[in-house]
Amino acid sequence: MKNRKMLTRVLKYIGRYKYLLPLSLLMALISTALTLYVPILIGEAIDAAVGAGRVDFAIITDRLLLSILLIGITALATWIMSAINNRIAYRVSEDIRNEAFVKIESLPLSYIDTTPHGEIVNRIINDTDRFAEGLLLGFTQVFTGVLTIVGTLVFMLVLCWQIALVVVLLTPLSIFIAKFIGTRTFNMFKARSECEAEAASLIDEMLTGQKTVRAFGYEDRATERFDEVSGRLERTTLDAIFFSSLTNPTTRFVNSMVYAATALVGALIVIASGGDGALLTIGEFSVLLSYTNQYTKPFNEISGIFAEFQNALASAGRVLDLIEEPSEQSDEGFTEIENCEGDITLSDVSFSYSKEKPLIEGLNLDVKKGQTVAIVGPTGCGKTTFINLLMRFYDVDSGKIELDGKDIRTLTRHSLRTSYGMVLQDTWLFSGTVRENIAFSRPEATDEEIVAAARAAHAHSFIKRLEGGYDTHLGEGGEGLSQGQKQLICIARVMLCLPPMLILDEATSSIDTRTEMRIQRAFSEMTEGRTSFIVAHRLSTVRDADVILVMRDGKIVESGTHEDLLLKGGFYSELYNSQFAH
Amino acid sequence: MKRLLKYLRGYEKETALAPLGKLCEATLELIVPLIIAAIIDRGIANGDRGYTVLMSLLLMLLGAVGLGFSVVAQYFAAKASVGFITATRRAMFTRLETLSYADADSLGTSTMITRMTADATKLQTGVNLTLRLLLRSPFVVFGAMIMALIIDVEAGLSFALVIPLLSVVVFGIMLVSMPLYKKVQGGVDKILSRTRDNLSGVRCVRAFGKEERETIKFREENATLTAAQNRVGRISALMNPLTYVIINLGIVLLIYTGALRVDSGELTQGEVIALYNYMSQILVELIKLANLIITISRALASGSRIADVLELQSSQKFGEREVGVNPECAVQLKSASLRYGRASEDSLSGISLSAMRGETVGIIGGTGSGKSSLVNLIPRLYDATGGEVLIEGSPIPEFSKEALTRKIGIVPQRATLFAGSVGDNMRIGARGATDEEINEALLAAQALDFVNEKGGLSAEIEAGGRNLSGGQKQRLTIARALVKKPEILILDDSASALDYATDARLRRAISDFSKDMTVFIVSQRAASVMHADKILVLDDGHAVAEGTHKELLGSSEVYREIYETQFGEGASE
Repeated sequence: MKNRKMLTRVLKYIGRYKYLLPLSLLMALISTALTLYVPILIGEAIDAAVGAGRVDFAIITDRLLLSILLIGITALATWIMSAINNRIAYRVSEDIRNEAFVKIESLPLSYIDTTPHGEIVNRIINDTDRFAEGLLLGFTQVFTGVLTIVGTLVFMLVLCWQIALVVVLLTPLSIFIAKFIGTRTFNMFKARSECEAEAASLIDEMLTGQKTVRAFGYEDRATERFDEVSGRLERTTLDAIFFSSLTNPTTRFVNSMVYAATALVGALIVIASGGDGALLTIGEFSVLLSYTNQYTKPFNEISGIFAEFQNALASAGRVLDLIEEPSEQSDEGFTEIENCEGDITLSDVSFSYSKEKPLIEGLNLDVKKGQTVAIVGPTGCGKTTFINLLMRFYDVDSGKIELDGKDIRTLTRHSLRTSYGMVLQDTWLFSGTVRENIAFSRPEATDEEIVAAARAAHAHSFIKRLEGGYDTHLGEGGEGLSQGQKQLICIARVMLCLPPMLILDEATSSIDTRTEMRIQRAFSEMTEGRTSFIVAHRLSTVRDADVILVMRDGKIVESGTHEDLLLKGGFYSELYNSQFAH
Repeated sequence: MKRLLKYLRGYEKETALAPLGKLCEATLELIVPLIIAAIIDRGIANGDRGYTVLMSLLLMLLGAVGLGFSVVAQYFAAKASVGFITATRRAMFTRLETLSYADADSLGTSTMITRMTADATKLQTGVNLTLRLLLRSPFVVFGAMIMALIIDVEAGLSFALVIPLLSVVVFGIMLVSMPLYKKVQGGVDKILSRTRDNLSGVRCVRAFGKEERETIKFREENATLTAAQNRVGRISALMNPLTYVIINLGIVLLIYTGALRVDSGELTQGEVIALYNYMSQILVELIKLANLIITISRALASGSRIADVLELQSSQKFGEREVGVNPECAVQLKSASLRYGRASEDSLSGISLSAMRGETVGIIGGTGSGKSSLVNLIPRLYDATGGEVLIEGSPIPEFSKEALTRKIGIVPQRATLFAGSVGDNMRIGARGATDEEINEALLAAQALDFVNEKGGLSAEIEAGGRNLSGGQKQRLTIARALVKKPEILILDDSASALDYATDARLRRAISDFSKDMTVFIVSQRAASVMHADKILVLDDGHAVAEGTHKELLGSSEVYREIYETQFGEGASE
């Protein structure tokens, strides 16, 4: 039932290529039927060559010529079939990947924040592949497999029902054995993958911490621990590999038993039919022998394919679930922001990620155009959540946020978000050159503009010193740069596009205070008249803000200028003075 | 591959017996068509039922004996390959663990991990299959041809035609498609990395409103991938029809020449059928061989990557010295410079500094000014590329590795903890430490309170310290260095996640912990270093000033600027 529903969802994607599918099945039919028929022709030719001086060349030539023709047709049909199947499989996976990616770009942040990224990537890349190949190729394979089995049986029955009976009775034995070994080895493989996972995490830990291992002279004990896991891995691997590798020899053994039985029964029947082959000719006998070999093959394959088919369906389910996730509400019908001023008002805003844990409650705030607002407070007090709400990465539970007097829920997300320039503590660099990474905010920027932005962000001097300067290729996540350098590049990115409002969420946390001060100077020159929000735990960063909001447990507990707050002698002054404790 | 062969030592018997067992099995398979021919030519032709039954029983016996050979071969192959990879992996692990920092940098952690896991698994599979199949498949192919030639030279000639043709097609298609498969993989890597980037950078992509642009790029890359897949698909789709045609035309030719030979009385009907059977065996084995060669070539690539790791020679040689000539002069740098790997500029140049026993030295400077580079020279994590580093008055390369590890405790910038209990982690540098000693260190590192809250020394730490906050991790790594009671302690910006009050308590506790300990404190905070006996100010890899806090406020503009940005303008007056 569940599978049927799954199939209808899947068919939607194949439907675009629905004219190709019957053609592929037709080709499969032709090639299977002919593949089975050619040996019969060969058998007849063999029958025409009885012995010295008793060879009927007319029949032989006739059968062989016909064979050549059919061989050609079979090859053509097989080729067309695989061409079509490849085409469908690749196109369908391309379509699905595109849809999945579009979905990623529109999923609500709450989904992306709470789902492991590896899992989403796995769905888009591996599950799509497994789905396309397993389902489509698997489908045609099952189809040809079944056709081969049915066809062989029919031909066998026509040629000699006794042998057909022997084969039908004995072949299930090999399937049974394969299944038996499969279930027995399942636990061994499980034990092995547990050991493997354990070994992998030890390897990961010890190599990631290699420098610590070295610095503390821990090498010998690391090796001891490794040896212990490795020994267990060796034993479980040997068990799993050896017992699973018995499948082939044993099914081969069963098949050779079937083959021997066919030879025995067939030969006896040929003998019984006397010299004229009334019951069975020698040619037919040899055809039956080769059928016997063929007949068992699709059985073994099909049981494998069937498992793959199941996997493919499961994969399809995972990737389609992703595609069918609800998106963020579309921008259609909402107002574009024009000439953003930068007045922001929060009235009675409440928000929490989960109902059990209230976070922000009844927050009110009025920010005038051009003001710099600093938000400080201990970890987990809701600073970053506040930013999430301003950018509409999350929507408020109650209350409202207004920009220039308009509820931000009536504005297009795109225009709202692009009105802010944002730098986060979690720097994000993608694999590409330094230049590409800076130009991300404005791809059409000239080289001069990029260098100017980098200079303003005080990133120019270190970029210049990199091996390839601005063309240095950065690995995923900016591998090879220090955290501070990554932050500088992200700042340069915002310097390049300079939107009307700014959000700096711990943007300079890994940069030393001197450089930070200079960057801030550059920012304040450029942000003249722009509203900006600065989140920081380092209080030196926020001293010059127009308003400092001190947050604690989702509420604003104090607000005012640096001097006001120090005079007040509250939570802020406590935080501030703690940095002078000796 | 030759470089790895020594790890097969101890498995010589298995390595030899596995292919041998397979050969025996294959030989038995080659006998089957002969028996069928005998059944037809003698059993059926003479109407000899007894003979027919006997031959059929022989077929079954061959099957059973074949099974026996095969099971033995599979066992030996599995045993040899698993034993081999275990030995190889162990050698890799010990080698990687002892790499110097500079070598580890140039190799990279993810490379190390891939070689230990994915590459090792591929190599193991490759060895296993090689032992089982590499000899078997060619043996069956050529064995079939030889058997055919033995039965009848003229009719067997069609084998001489079919085998080369088939080989050309099978290996040709494989050779052409292999580089194309690499392109497909490249395409997959591209869309994979874009997907990952877009997930991790979802806030940036949306904040800059670049969703559409990213989608267009993805579509382009996706289309490129599909095109690459189609190209390789078109080529490999030729494999089945072409081989089918060749084999079957070979059979047609065989039957025709066979018929001529039968007519002239030089061949029996049974022998024609035997030849026909041999022909059918060839294809299966050739395709197996082609697949095997792909697996082996991948395994060889993995093997040579693994061998590269095993051949890495540590770029550091250690001496035997345990104690220096002048124990009072703990650390001395004489115009030391450091340039990393392939960097074009020095990260440190011409630094001179000396620290007497029991002194506290502060090192301060901006992002990338070379602070960490400097302290990494002291435990010889890196070797100075210019100048000299002296410990207790003796050049650092003279010391044994153990002596340096024992004398010097370093708390790195990035706190790394291992999965296991707090106690296990504390004993990483000092195996025999007692619980009292550990608690003492935890107390000094301001970590005792939260450790006790979490359940004391037996509290579990998850991999990478995931269940701890940044500040907690830092305090534990400090305690870990204190447990081994080093003579020289280096704190490399290791209190950055602590609030100022805790930081201050920590510094006081450390100076009480041992009066004789020489301490280096690296920080961006003036507050952390201002009470040191001596402060070194770094800027862009150069030492720009040295002195006490008071002296520097007067003499160093850089220092004063750092101080004022943190304490407010005018604070220094």
